[in-house]
Amino acid sequence: MVNATLAPEATERAARDRSAAGVRGRARHRRRQAVVAYLFLAPTLLFYAVFLLLPLGFALLLSMSRWAGFDLGDIEPVGLDNFAGLFADGSTFLAPILTNTLLFALGTVVLALAGSVLVATCIDKLRFQGLWRTLYFLPIVTTVVAVGNVWKYMYEPGGLVNGVLNTLGLGSVAFLQDPDTALPAVVVVQAWASVGSAILVLTAGLKSIPESYYEAAALDGAGAVTVFWRITLPLLRPSLLFVCITQFLTGLQSFALIIVMTRGGPGDATNVAALEMYRQAFSYGDWGAASAAAFVLFTVVLAVTLVQLWLFRRKGEDA
Amino acid sequence: MKPALSRRHFALALPSALLVSGCAAPHRGTGRPRDPIVLTLLSHYASGELKTALQGPVDEWNALHDRVKVQTKAVEFTDLLTTFMVRQAAGQGADILHPYCLWNGQLVQAGVLRPAPPEHAEEIRRGYGTAAVGSATVDGNVYGYPTEMQTYALYYNKRLLREAGVDRPPRTWRELEDAAYRTARRDGYGNALVQGFGLSTFDDSTTVGQTLALLNAAGGRFVSADGRRTAIDSPAGRAVFDLERRLVAKGASDPGVNVYNAFASGQVAMVISAGWWTANLKALMGKGYRDVGVAPVPLPEAGGRRATLSTGFMLGVNTASECPREAWEFLRWLNTEKVRGATRMSALQVSVGSLTGRADDMRTLLGAGGDPNLHPFLDALAYAVPEPNVPGAQQAKSLLRKNIEALWTGQQSVDEALRTTRRQVDQEVSLSW
Repeated sequence: MVNATLAPEATERAARDRSAAGVRGRARHRRRQAVVAYLFLAPTLLFYAVFLLLPLGFALLLSMSRWAGFDLGDIEPVGLDNFAGLFADGSTFLAPILTNTLLFALGTVVLALAGSVLVATCIDKLRFQGLWRTLYFLPIVTTVVAVGNVWKYMYEPGGLVNGVLNTLGLGSVAFLQDPDTALPAVVVVQAWASVGSAILVLTAGLKSIPESYYEAAALDGAGAVTVFWRITLPLLRPSLLFVCITQFLTGLQSFALIIVMTRGGPGDATNVAALEMYRQAFSYGDWGAASAAAFVLFTVVLAVTLVQLWLFRRKGEDA
Repeated sequence: MKPALSRRHFALALPSALLVSGCAAPHRGTGRPRDPIVLTLLSHYASGELKTALQGPVDEWNALHDRVKVQTKAVEFTDLLTTFMVRQAAGQGADILHPYCLWNGQLVQAGVLRPAPPEHAEEIRRGYGTAAVGSATVDGNVYGYPTEMQTYALYYNKRLLREAGVDRPPRTWRELEDAAYRTARRDGYGNALVQGFGLSTFDDSTTVGQTLALLNAAGGRFVSADGRRTAIDSPAGRAVFDLERRLVAKGASDPGVNVYNAFASGQVAMVISAGWWTANLKALMGKGYRDVGVAPVPLPEAGGRRATLSTGFMLGVNTASECPREAWEFLRWLNTEKVRGATRMSALQVSVGSLTGRADDMRTLLGAGGDPNLHPFLDALAYAVPEPNVPGAQQAKSLLRKNIEALWTGQQSVDEALRTTRRQVDQEVSLSW
């Protein structure tokens, strides 16, 4: 009753005060929530900063410096000299190293993609699918060193591959010693080793295609090839995009298999950017050149990924 | 009353304390006079008989000395340089380092190795052969006590040579080629059954090592005396590249084969390699080892002056060591004090089938008996040329290897290989200086 007798201004002021207090309370609550949220995020952000931003910044600094890797006080700024050195006349970075890197990645993607589409489609029509998927996945859980060494022995003169060729009446091929066959020989192994993960993704993609499309195609009398080209492949495109991008990125950065099988040789026939970076930094103590090469490779990886995304998006697919 | 250390302060202090304790230097004693000192020694003697062989004298030192103790740390050889880098950058460098001498220029330039004090330098110059001292010297300064020394010589399979009608190991390149062509055999598909002369891309020592041994035998050098440019583009270098190219082209060599396995299996008649291999061959071949002979690296012409390649390791003291005087004292004890006529290091190396650059020790330890195949390596200590150890030597070696492989596989002609090696190595070595 008392309140009802108060002047309207006082009532409004009281309402405003209450409203302002409410706003302040909500703001304080939101701030507190934000603080709590950041506290929960802090470990992740700290991890991100320590293991990504800090090394990235350090690598950027090194790419414009000269440093032998021993004493942090000896970092000497050199501007863009390291980048200029990579593309200078007579440098092997652009050709054959970067060219080999792209050929290695491209060859791996093409072979692994073709192989995995074929195998995944076959597996989709077989019994005991889990068993087949497991068998094809085995190379993924085998160490690169073991895979590389086994294939190295198979490729050797007198090895299994040459034994088969000899049985067919053909002469032996020095797969890893001939500069013309060394890179393709390693690409085959990398594709073989990575086909398992691609099969897993593509099998999942095949399972997600509604059966009704195939039933409709059967009613229309479409053959197996038409069904594959007109139904399976277009609807598999999101999975193909994922496999394509991840395999390409892996291929561009990979060097473990090469170091086991050929160590980049003969000559520079199988040398790739990641291997060269490793050598520049850890063997030659030229961390500046290694970091500059890393940034060039990063740019190439980014450009290739963007082009792939653009190409697939033109076809109406998202990654 | 507020507590002395609030919860917030404690939360900040705990990770900081953990971080600081984690990053702190390892325990090396208090540094106060007469307080105990622990010296760390980082080497690649990480496993097997090498680890045991080094631990023996270290344990002996620790038993004899109360104040200064030595603690060994070891990594695989492939990780050794990287470990030096990472530990040094983190302020955790070992007091005593055991680098491959090829890296000495790189380590000196980076300020990792401390020059030997004058009295130690003098002792090293006096006690070791020229090649050993050269390996441990950079720009005129001695940086450590040479330890394991490897010289290169020609291994040959007596049975294969005998079956091919060759009654003694080759002494000249003409004899070498002749024996290689006579012993080489292939099947109908082109697979090598026996390589006459084992050129192999297996690793640096098989590719670069044997090429440099032949180059030195021909009177050539890989880099100039001042270490600032390559010297392989010379008549001697051309002769070596020509010889190797001919051996591959005429089918006497098959660079793709792992020569270490193939020689032990009797599939290689001759190969140039280092002395350490004798111990491995004995273990691998068993009774078959009696067919193995070792001779000096053949010369281009009879009657020429002998030369071959030597490679090695040394023990040096880190510039970051807080107790350099004690570290050098330990090294002197290990490398120069004689027990039963030889130094502890020489006894250690001979026990694992290796040599040191102390010819007197080697003669005492090997004596008149022992494996006669080790004697050519021992003799070679007197005339071997040390592997270049200038700044950038590791990269120069890798570049040489790439060009040798390109030559063997026909990617480059002899002229191109020599020219490219000169251009690439000159560029890198000049950058390193």
